[in-house]
Amino acid sequence: MTGMFRGMTAIAVTGLAFAAGAAQAEEITVSSWGGFFEETLAAEIYPGFTETTGIEVRSIAQPADQAWLTQLTSAARAKKAPADLSLVSDEVLARGRTIGLWAALDPQAMPSTDFLKDGFVKADDDGTFAVAALSFWSTFVTNTDFRAEAPESWAELWTGDWDGKLGMASAVNSGLLEITAVTHFGGYEIMETREGLEQVIAKIAELKPNVRLWYRDEGQFQQGLESGEFNGGTYFHDVAMLSIYDGNPIASTFPKEGGVLSDAYWIVPRDSKHGEAAQKFIDYMSQPVVQAEMARVLGVAPVAKRELMDLTEEEFSAVSNDLEPIRVQTEIHLREGDWLADKYLEMISR
Amino acid sequence: MKRFAIAPHLIGLYPLGMMTIFFLGPLAFMVVVSFYLRDPLGFYKVDFVWENYGKFFSSFYYSVSLRSIWTSALASLLTVALAFPAIFIIVGMRRKWQLVWVIGLLALMCLSEVVIGFAWVILMSESAGIPRLLGWLGLWENPRSLSPSRLAMLIGMVSLGFSLVALMFYPQLSQRDRAIEEAAQTLGTPPAKVFFKVVLPIFRPALASSLVTMFVFYLGVYVMPTMLGRPQDWNMSVIITDKAVEQANMPLGAALAVIMLVFTVLLIGGFALATRKEGAK
Repeated sequence: MTGMFRGMTAIAVTGLAFAAGAAQAEEITVSSWGGFFEETLAAEIYPGFTETTGIEVRSIAQPADQAWLTQLTSAARAKKAPADLSLVSDEVLARGRTIGLWAALDPQAMPSTDFLKDGFVKADDDGTFAVAALSFWSTFVTNTDFRAEAPESWAELWTGDWDGKLGMASAVNSGLLEITAVTHFGGYEIMETREGLEQVIAKIAELKPNVRLWYRDEGQFQQGLESGEFNGGTYFHDVAMLSIYDGNPIASTFPKEGGVLSDAYWIVPRDSKHGEAAQKFIDYMSQPVVQAEMARVLGVAPVAKRELMDLTEEEFSAVSNDLEPIRVQTEIHLREGDWLADKYLEMISR
Repeated sequence: MKRFAIAPHLIGLYPLGMMTIFFLGPLAFMVVVSFYLRDPLGFYKVDFVWENYGKFFSSFYYSVSLRSIWTSALASLLTVALAFPAIFIIVGMRRKWQLVWVIGLLALMCLSEVVIGFAWVILMSESAGIPRLLGWLGLWENPRSLSPSRLAMLIGMVSLGFSLVALMFYPQLSQRDRAIEEAAQTLGTPPAKVFFKVVLPIFRPALASSLVTMFVFYLGVYVMPTMLGRPQDWNMSVIITDKAVEQANMPLGAALAVIMLVFTVLLIGGFALATRKEGAK
């Protein structure tokens, strides 16, 4: 709603400028996840881009991943682009690529992408179509009033005493399947077959007596964790850290098996008319200085090579970690999507 | 010979047009999509397949629908059972107090589902709500959050529909002919008995139709089950949203919605038929 209102104000302002006959600078529309994320990007990061390039940025909020994909798909059918750039998860990235939603990008026009870690400029036989924007961790969060010492292993979800007050994300792609596979089955191989997936799901089912809330809405879990309604669970590291800075009794821990690392990518919708400006934007966002700044103000993990950024040891360890991460197996989720989602939902709702 | 006049029939085009734009059009699109082929890697492909409907008849969706029906039935029964006596008492009050209550009920209606749901989440939380109060009073030794639970969800649903039912009955009850009740009272029937033996039978058809209305209304609730219910309380609306929006499986979402719609239409049709038969008797 805020995003929509913001959008409308921007239109009104642009209209006025036009009426006054002022010279109009090029403007691109950039969408990202609504709320703190979009607001902070608009306030702290985008102005630097406008200063450097003279291109105005209109920042809008986008809904949750699949809902946004649905909107992008409908818009593409009408040959429209709801934004010139958009921040998408890897699952949306893959789906959108299959149905040809993304515009082709030219790596030559984005030299700063060389500073990114390997594999973060996405290309296939038809060319380049996305560039990593940022990464974010999900960790083992605990309420420190209930339990002072940090958990060492994800296994403590199963073995620890949580007084029946864990909060877990209810979505099948939250990373819990992968956490379970790595912690209890020695890796992701077990997820290759349906029998294996069923074993993993059965293991997660053992958590149920301990889980008070299978959350759909992050806000509900966070509020409960802060107030002691929940004693632990999985949550986004960056948001948990912000809550800790606010003085809440929370700890966000990377267990020895690793946190769950997810990436978000910049894509340009196929029908955008500002392809060149959009590539300048991606180039700007890939610069190590900007990546470091995003880590500082947003608390997200940078995607640029670490040695190129001026983040101190302390700053880096607040947002990221050198442990081998647990990765959501997007290919398996896409391949087994419907079957897996139903099995998972059946398990938590039984 | 009577001439066929076109003009009076033209006026029927207006509701037809409105229905087409706001209801029949989107509905037709939904029915069409429900036959499309789901593309797990992308979106959907234009096709004509029955497999989306076939999926409904797996044990999972079947049990979710039974659960939705049972919860909606229970919630509508609770709502009518609570709201009807309440408004019956309110219409017996003086004009000024009636107005206060009606304004209160209207105010309740303008709150969004999300606000009501969130208010209950806080009221039922162990850190701020009723459990904490009970703990503080020494009535509950180890207070625990009451939500999410089926009870919490039902309470949320009832508070959503309460004012609706109450206001539905307000005109009927305040304008009713009180002669029969007065006669019964004059003959010495106690007020409670008058309510059960006289008022309820008179309003039986209206009560039945409000039950059906609320049942259909509750079948479609989404916020209360997700905010106040556990996964085992999630109803068909939640599952449809999950499929269509979260998992981008529009065809399955559409097929499940069509099944729900057919069921609702059958239910309302059956009810209309039953009341007509009763009227004919």
